[in-house]
Amino acid sequence: MTAIVTQGLSKHYPEVRALDGVSIELEEHRIHGLLGRNGAGKTTLMQLLTGQVFATAGSMQVLGASPVENADVLSQTCFIQESQRYPDTFRPIDVLRIAAGAYPNWEQALADQLVDDFRLPVKRTIKKLSRGQLSAIGIVIGLASRAPLTFFDEPYLGLDAVARRMFYDYLLADFSQHPRTIVLSTHHIDEVANLLEHVVILDQGRVLLDADTDELQHAAIGVSGRAADVDAFLAGREVLERTALGSLASATVTAHDGDERAARDAGLDVSPVSLQALFVHLTTASAAGAASPTAPATDVATN
Amino acid sequence: MRIRNVVQLHTVNRLQAFGWPLVFMALSLVVVLIIGALIVHVTAAGEPDARASMNQGMRWNGAIFALLGPLIGFGFTAMGQYFPLALGLGLTRREFAAGTALVFVGNAAFYAIIISIGKVIELATGGFGLGIRFFDVAYTGFGEWWQTLVQTFLLILTVMLVGAAITTAFHRWGQSFLWSFWIGLALVVLGFVAGMVLSEPFRGFVGDLGTMGWLPWMGVIALIGAIGAAVWLALVRRAQAR
Repeated sequence: MTAIVTQGLSKHYPEVRALDGVSIELEEHRIHGLLGRNGAGKTTLMQLLTGQVFATAGSMQVLGASPVENADVLSQTCFIQESQRYPDTFRPIDVLRIAAGAYPNWEQALADQLVDDFRLPVKRTIKKLSRGQLSAIGIVIGLASRAPLTFFDEPYLGLDAVARRMFYDYLLADFSQHPRTIVLSTHHIDEVANLLEHVVILDQGRVLLDADTDELQHAAIGVSGRAADVDAFLAGREVLERTALGSLASATVTAHDGDERAARDAGLDVSPVSLQALFVHLTTASAAGAASPTAPATDVATN
Repeated sequence: MRIRNVVQLHTVNRLQAFGWPLVFMALSLVVVLIIGALIVHVTAAGEPDARASMNQGMRWNGAIFALLGPLIGFGFTAMGQYFPLALGLGLTRREFAAGTALVFVGNAAFYAIIISIGKVIELATGGFGLGIRFFDVAYTGFGEWWQTLVQTFLLILTVMLVGAAITTAFHRWGQSFLWSFWIGLALVVLGFVAGMVLSEPFRGFVGDLGTMGWLPWMGVIALIGAIGAAVWLALVRRAQAR
């Protein structure tokens, strides 16, 4: 079953098209990555899917119905956003008490454990919390709510590497025991690459890539060797990036069946391309394409 | 409808919701009591009418705004600070509006009762034995206790509704709303002043307003509150996260 379906979903503001004709389907009980550069439209998409803002055009179904003013859907949906504002006088314990009442599947024991592990000072005024401690509030709510559909929008801004690792561990452990649909938006792509089963990359409000991570492992390859050999190999292929140093060159190309063998036969070294590297290549190529309308569009594993 | 969650949102921090307004009120009352004690003590021998003139002078004293002031801000913070969190926690606009309206009514009733009880005590004890006025002032009404109850209830409810309406409009239209609001308000004030200076019939009309009875005044307050409620409820249904 699909947890989220959108058709031509758009959100236009007077000065910008934050989201422009987005059509995606996200299956339930999976961890989806929603990636994109700053201003790509990730937060806007999640705000639309949780009924926080209204669409300019298009349609969406969340857990089988429109989320707009739909208490049945929204009570099953938890949206942890980086920019969440809290009343000035609130303390974390106030927010957690309200969240406990608002989410039907709330797990207090897990919340207590997370508060301890993330060392969240629950009785300190929120105004006095650090950026990382603010993020910890969101993480506690996002995990302890056990909502069938949970959105994490940059959930660990300001958290150190240890705390981020702890979040991934908790997320994976709790997800295994209580499968649910998770949409995770982050800039720390390499850190979460192993968690993600499916990825949607947005760029300038449009879907740049929509694919399972399994497919993406073979979507592009890195080749390196003598510049002349590399250039000969690149001829007729879609090049995402090429760099040269003296007589040597390396490049990232969209991979098709047999490309890996062909590269080795041409005497080139072949290396896998990480999700983060692929993301950088795709978004950079997209920006270059936008700047030069004649540049070819990428066709990496989009569906 | 998860109205209970919205009510909890507004009241979970009890010190903030109930504690501080009452503490501010108590402190303000103490200050007025000290002033009363000083005046009564210092002038007791020399000026027998001092107590009566102080009592008269305090008819318009605004010390009660130590309580009413924070309540005026309640409508602004409800929309400015609590609404974004309510949306963030997956509550619908309809649920937020219903729960918040309930909290407004509850708050107005709670503090109106406190003020009315304070007024009864103040009158029964001759201004707490010092001839002072704190609860029995123009803003809360000089009439019977039940009139103070109705008047303060309507006043508190109205300022909260109007505050929520203004904040929601600002949320929707931003700075351009504020400019329009202040320009509109300035035009009204200008029109009023011009009318008072230039028009005899207008002066007569304002004079009639001044002598208007208690009940029509309550109607005016209720009407302003109803307009605030209508604007707020109409706008909040289409309010978006920022």
